[in-house]
Amino acid sequence: MTRRFAAYTAIESLDLEVRAGRFVSLVGPSGCGKSTVLNLVARLIAPSEGTVEVAGRAGYMFQQDALLPWKTVLDNVALGLDFKRVPAKEAREQARQWITRVGLKGFENSYPHQLSGGMRKRATMAQTWIVDPEIVLMDEPFSALDVHTRHRMEGEVLDLWSGSKKTVLFVTHDLEEAIALSDEVALLSAGPASRVIGSYAIDLPRPRNLLDMKTDTRFVEIYREIWARLRDEVVRSHAS
Amino acid sequence: MRAKTAVLRVMTGVVFLGLWQAGVTAGKLDKFFFSRPSDIAARVWQMFAKGAVWPHLGTTLAEALLSFTIGVTAGVFFGFLLARRPLLADVLEPYIRIANALPRVVLAPLFLLWFGLGIWSKVALGVTVVFFIVFFNTYQGVRDVDPLLINNARILGASERQLVRHVILPSALSWIFSSLHISIGFAIIAVVVGEYLGSARGIGYLIAQAEGVFDTTGVFAGMTILAAFVLVVGSGVTRLERWLLRWKAGRGIDSPLS
Repeated sequence: MTRRFAAYTAIESLDLEVRAGRFVSLVGPSGCGKSTVLNLVARLIAPSEGTVEVAGRAGYMFQQDALLPWKTVLDNVALGLDFKRVPAKEAREQARQWITRVGLKGFENSYPHQLSGGMRKRATMAQTWIVDPEIVLMDEPFSALDVHTRHRMEGEVLDLWSGSKKTVLFVTHDLEEAIALSDEVALLSAGPASRVIGSYAIDLPRPRNLLDMKTDTRFVEIYREIWARLRDEVVRSHAS
Repeated sequence: MRAKTAVLRVMTGVVFLGLWQAGVTAGKLDKFFFSRPSDIAARVWQMFAKGAVWPHLGTTLAEALLSFTIGVTAGVFFGFLLARRPLLADVLEPYIRIANALPRVVLAPLFLLWFGLGIWSKVALGVTVVFFIVFFNTYQGVRDVDPLLINNARILGASERQLVRHVILPSALSWIFSSLHISIGFAIIAVVVGEYLGSARGIGYLIAQAEGVFDTTGVFAGMTILAAFVLVVGSGVTRLERWLLRWKAGRGIDSPLS
């Protein structure tokens, strides 16, 4: 598929297939159109050419906070259920369970501005997962967090995902993060007109220990292999 | 507020009134033109003590609240409508600008002819003032909604109505509220101007009466009551706003003039 914005072609002839239940990361240099791919899958925008086929409903975790500032954590988490007209009491009940699950118990009645960045991400996760989407799109969801909080959140995403049979399409510019989390890493070329230039199966065993695996020999091997290719694209994106 | 600020505030007022009082007493200011704070205070006291002022205050309050309510309702409604219907907004834009360009005072005589000497000519004048302030702010507020929040709500399954109720309206509220502060003040001013130009009741009428007989003390007493009245009503709006925008705690609701 291809998507142009006025005179700018963000992605061109991008071909990507994601099998159900897999955790797939899209990696590429900044400005390569990674977010465009997610917006296409979420049907927030339509392709200029080609088609997007999505089997199932998608949830979307944006890069920036998308919690409603005027609603409490509880109401924010229950939002998707309220939209589906789930009875208020039941929606709150489920929301409370999700809040506990993402470790925000005790903050049900706080407003987003009273929470730290990491806690807001937790609330956003609960908000996204509570409506039980078959596909979860994540656009550099943790890029604004400090590195420790970020590692914790990555671990929690894996916990949520494993056994859920959900498909995750995870966008990041951090190759380490991508390898650590994914079954498959798809590499995008530098923009404009980016496309998929490589797809790598990550055969690291699960469940994964995110804290130790980054020094694992196999992890380093995979990292080197993909980085050799990604490096060129990063250099190319700096040049343009 | 720090104690020092509070003391300086009070001092400013005391010094101003003191100079005025002293100037008139010493004969530097003509009492006929400037009256005197002590006389004005006595007059205000007398007006309340005798109860003569209440029907006038009541009339002005009723007119102001009516024009405020009607103006805000219409302003929010049309602001929303036009922000959500860009074609309509584009078509109507020049006409709205023309209507808004008119000084409201020139409409007052027309309203007097159309709606008579009673409260409705004043309400009409107030509405034309309040409407545009609220309308422009609502329009801007609705257009200003973060597209990210809209996208997120859409993906979570929001219908168009749910989007308005849960995302757009609350987001526009802070814009709408900043307009309410200004418009309650303007509503009172507008109805007082209306009363001033032709009526048999209200604070504006009191001031016009006093002016007609060169009773400057009466004029200043009317002005004092009017100012206090605007402040009291304004603080009511502030309180309502605090409650409605409690999620915003500590983010720029407290303007020094509210």
